[in-house]
Amino acid sequence: MSERNPDDAGGRIESKRERESVAGTADAERETEPLLRIEDLWKSYGNEEVLRGVSLEVDRGDVEVLVGPSGSGKSTLLRCLNRLTEVDSGHVYLGETEVTGPDTDPNAIRQQIGMVFQDINLFTHLTARQNITLGLRKVRGQSKAEARRRADSELDRVGLLAQAGSYPAQLSGGQKQRVGIARALAMDPEVMLFDEPTSALDPELSNEVLEVMSQLVAEGMTMVVVTHEMRFARGGATGITFLDEGKVIEHGPPDQIFDDPERERTARFFQSIRHE
Amino acid sequence: MEFVPALAETAVTASTASDAVPLFTEPILSEETVAEYLGEDWAFVYRNREYLLWGTVVTIALTITSLLLGFLAGFPAGVIEAYGGGYSRAFVRKFGVLLRGTPILVIMIYTFYVLPIGIVLDPVQSALAGLDAVLGPIPVPDVGEAFMAATLALGFRSAAYQSQIFRGALQNVDEGQMEAARSIGMNRLEAIRHVIAPQALRRSVPGFQNEFTIVLKDTSIAFAIGLGELLKRSNDLFFQQTTAILEVIIFASLIYFVLTFSTNRTLDYVSNRFAIPGESS
Repeated sequence: MSERNPDDAGGRIESKRERESVAGTADAERETEPLLRIEDLWKSYGNEEVLRGVSLEVDRGDVEVLVGPSGSGKSTLLRCLNRLTEVDSGHVYLGETEVTGPDTDPNAIRQQIGMVFQDINLFTHLTARQNITLGLRKVRGQSKAEARRRADSELDRVGLLAQAGSYPAQLSGGQKQRVGIARALAMDPEVMLFDEPTSALDPELSNEVLEVMSQLVAEGMTMVVVTHEMRFARGGATGITFLDEGKVIEHGPPDQIFDDPERERTARFFQSIRHE
Repeated sequence: MEFVPALAETAVTASTASDAVPLFTEPILSEETVAEYLGEDWAFVYRNREYLLWGTVVTIALTITSLLLGFLAGFPAGVIEAYGGGYSRAFVRKFGVLLRGTPILVIMIYTFYVLPIGIVLDPVQSALAGLDAVLGPIPVPDVGEAFMAATLALGFRSAAYQSQIFRGALQNVDEGQMEAARSIGMNRLEAIRHVIAPQALRRSVPGFQNEFTIVLKDTSIAFAIGLGELLKRSNDLFFQQTTAILEVIIFASLIYFVLTFSTNRTLDYVSNRFAIPGESS
């Protein structure tokens, strides 16, 4: 779908404009507009090109799983989506807003794009509940009571209401990551980004995090997930994107990518992880 | 009191409390008793206890003003060294290197003899006079040139060291904390204020404890510019009665020790009180 072709990006912008003009009149058309649109992203660190023209579309309610060997640019791609990393060129759109636009306030757009980190990064000096209320109070300007109510409902959603008063150092890895998910959810994001959310966890602890993620899938949350958990990818994803050397090699529904990939490189990758 | 036996108990505690109050003005020990048991030189120290006590007050006041100035200048300097860019960081860094590379006595001679101290002193004095006018006479001794010069010297020298304590503590906070804060929509300053600084400040307590002790002890250097702090006053005394050098200086040392020890214990408590549960501090 997204093999790089210099003319391709221009052509797609054209078609986007056409669609927008139609979408302006018909609400039904608007529904089909992708929530997250990534166009021809390029990013390099020094001489190393990490992203080489990545394009991707994620519809509302989609769960897009990014897979690929380490160093393929999956995490960088994810971090470009909420501008924790600035792109060299290309565009990211969230609905009508261009995330990468020069006039877009990254702090405002980041509230709409939740992020869950591999190293979790809970605020170590705050309790589970305070980790969630901090953003609600300081960024959203909610009252103490309002923020607390919201935090508790999010903690309940990830099954950790009983641990609301615990500090990160008193929680297990899996519990911490669930608080991390609750913290991101509390900001009412349009889309959630997961950057290898279970890689730092024991397999046993991974499961409780994957369960929470599956629950979000069931609730219809739009998600972009970088993970090595192939069970989650197969069970929860609506689409799999296989990246290698900063390019999208192949994109498609899970069954096709896993069982019948078109590209030899994709087949080789899945072959190798099956042997692990 | 005897007529109202029911109140006996409260009356007793009341009387012991009122006994305790004038202990300083009307001592239980007379000078003669001290002289009899410890000798004439200790009696000399005892006679001049109030003189030394005021010296101690100056020492404590100078420690507080210096540490406060050191914190107010040192914390932002630490933030700039950790997060600032370009010229601000280069300036702060060079200024710090200069201050840390100059002996405290030399700095103090600059602030006392070279610096036109009136520029700083006059506003402070008029501010204190203003306070006087509003609150009535307050028991704050007049801020003299020597006190101001000593505060500036000790304060800025301390700022140069405190900036390093805070820079290190800020840089030790994991990068992911900043990223997580940014990811929920905080700007850089909000992230530093609500996430990075609270963690860094907790970790700075041991370094600050050290700095506190150093500043407290280095107030004695203000002796050289004639400020009547504890050591200067001790010196005045044993010049008056040269046989009492040992007694006077032991007494002064004890006061210094009690001050450093009790403050360090207090800061230990603070450190434990604010330690993050589950983490070793």
